[in-house]
Amino acid sequence: MNLLFFVVFGAYFLAVIAQFSATAFKKEKLARIAWWLFLAAFALHSLFLVLRGVIARRLPLSNQFEFACAFAWGIALLLIVLRDKTKADWLSAAAMPAALLVLTYAALQPREITELMPALRSAWFGIHIGSAVFSYSAFVLAGCAGLRYIRGGKTADPDDRKQRQTDYLIYRLVGFGFLFLTVVILSGAIWAEQAWSAFWTWDPKETWALITWIIYAVYLHLRLRRKMDPAVLAWYVIIAVPVVLFTFAGVNTLLPGLHSYG
Amino acid sequence: MGLRMKKILSYLRSMRFGILLLVLIALLSVAGSVIPQERELAWYVENYPGAHPTIFFLQLYRVFQSWYFLLLLGLLCVNLTLCSLLRGRSLLGSRERLLSACAGMKNSVPLSGEGLIRLEQHLKSKGCRSAEFGRTRVYYKHLPGAWGSFVTHLSILLTVIVGAMALTLPQVTDMDCLPGESVTLKDPNGGTARFTVSDFRTNDAGGRLDFASRLTVTLPDGRSRLGEISVNHPLSFGPYKVYQQSYGTAGSVTVTNLQNQGSDSFALTDLSFLSMDNQSGVWFVALYPDYLINANGEILPVNTGDPAYPHPVYHVQTVNGEEREDRLLFPGDTVEIGALRFRFDEPLRYPGLRIKVTPSWIEPLLIACFALMIAGLYLLFFLPPVLVRLDDEGYAVGGPKPEGMRLELMDLLNMDKGEAHS
Repeated sequence: MNLLFFVVFGAYFLAVIAQFSATAFKKEKLARIAWWLFLAAFALHSLFLVLRGVIARRLPLSNQFEFACAFAWGIALLLIVLRDKTKADWLSAAAMPAALLVLTYAALQPREITELMPALRSAWFGIHIGSAVFSYSAFVLAGCAGLRYIRGGKTADPDDRKQRQTDYLIYRLVGFGFLFLTVVILSGAIWAEQAWSAFWTWDPKETWALITWIIYAVYLHLRLRRKMDPAVLAWYVIIAVPVVLFTFAGVNTLLPGLHSYG
Repeated sequence: MGLRMKKILSYLRSMRFGILLLVLIALLSVAGSVIPQERELAWYVENYPGAHPTIFFLQLYRVFQSWYFLLLLGLLCVNLTLCSLLRGRSLLGSRERLLSACAGMKNSVPLSGEGLIRLEQHLKSKGCRSAEFGRTRVYYKHLPGAWGSFVTHLSILLTVIVGAMALTLPQVTDMDCLPGESVTLKDPNGGTARFTVSDFRTNDAGGRLDFASRLTVTLPDGRSRLGEISVNHPLSFGPYKVYQQSYGTAGSVTVTNLQNQGSDSFALTDLSFLSMDNQSGVWFVALYPDYLINANGEILPVNTGDPAYPHPVYHVQTVNGEEREDRLLFPGDTVEIGALRFRFDEPLRYPGLRIKVTPSWIEPLLIACFALMIAGLYLLFFLPPVLVRLDDEGYAVGGPKPEGMRLELMDLLNMDKGEAHS
């Protein structure tokens, strides 16, 4: 399993290098190679997660390593879907390194397969943590799209169609992530009531999930204000990404609580 | 209504006020997550030597129960109520209103006849239905999506209110109960409820994987239910919900009266004196999970924290008249003092139960609020209403969220930038 993980890591790494070179030297063919490498890495990544799940006989989402692997997989999956649906090829330049960075974090975590602790043995396990994977991935991709908007804004008219499409894509990604984050919080509340007897305990992880939810709720409201500059909103979703990452990794490390599972 | 009142109401329901409240709640939540909550005040004095006066003054040690946090939540409820009312009112008869508003839009994006045909075909292929308004035709779909924002805001309001009830109304009691024994609780409607643990087991030596109890809940009216509880699987009966909260390990001793051969077993949890005459007997001091043997061959009990208790050691003090002796004993060891024989057995495991008394309507209502919120967000983000007006001049995109369709049609018709949209 370790070997397969590092093969996946290496494949993503090569894809990122190829994509970076393609962007730097404006080589279309190299960009296509990068994309095929990325698809291959994603296929291996999917295989890795399936195999790990089969060996562990549960969903591979129980600790920081497994969640980070699933998180990187979620970013890759959403990128593939978005490129297919919106032809947003430009998203690869930022999203591929994002997936690689999350996988790098995974590589630094203990990788052994462990039995689930009692609190995690629940039907809500997959819904709660699986939703978090898609929510966080969407927020990271929204941040990547935000980078693109800022970059595009320097050279192009802010009212042009591409910029408007990018702005709208950011909104859709935040909306998608927001819905899934709501599922995370609400399913977590029902689960917490079954496991710990209370729907809400202000545990640091719960609190930071709520903070993240509020941050994106504010974005969604700010976007409704017509006077708000889309570039400011693009900066907003970029700055929000570290909050998402803190909710994912920082809270478990720095603010121990009921969610400190490793 | 006076002008000032109108202004106040207008501000209370405004998005600006809602955003301000959300930001303040988020900032206080950050403080509440960084500063450990609800500790002894002395802990803050020790750990925040310079900042503890500020922490106490601002109640940062109990942020989520502070008056100002609760005030913010209350104001958020007011904001959400007014928002919901406003949105709800505008949605009455929304289908006809949306269609006629779209049909009545003034500005059109000019389009040639060929373009209009392409547009119409595209909208039909998307599953849009159409309605005629004289020479104008409105294509539409996903009209229930217009309810998304209202349903979402209303459900958040209901979730905050019902959630606050769910956190404050239940009465929670934690109790340890040895297998074979019972604990009782005063029933809110009078009488006493009884909770009897018949068995407790761990799935592995340390209980890390799972642990479960079989217990019977008996209501004051005599009705009872037998069931098994484990983590994530509480037992509900009447107003009670019993959780498998924790477990502990107790010592176990069998005491035999050597004169009549009568014997009885006792669980040992706290410091206790086992005696017939209160003069001679055994003081139970502690039970250790493990021990070490030092260089001199002496046994040193150690509290490793291992829940499996791999090598349990009893620390007791025997008292025989004036003679007192500290001793370390292992399961199976016996001690005779006077007419009593004490046999120390393998330790017992017992469950820690959490018993919650809660009104039965709260949980279903809260879960219904959750479901409503998910439905609202789904309508909001996945079913945005599509409303496109077509006439001989061109087209216009209407509805509460026209942006996606505008971009889609711009792409379809390959328009240049700066197109005037209504």
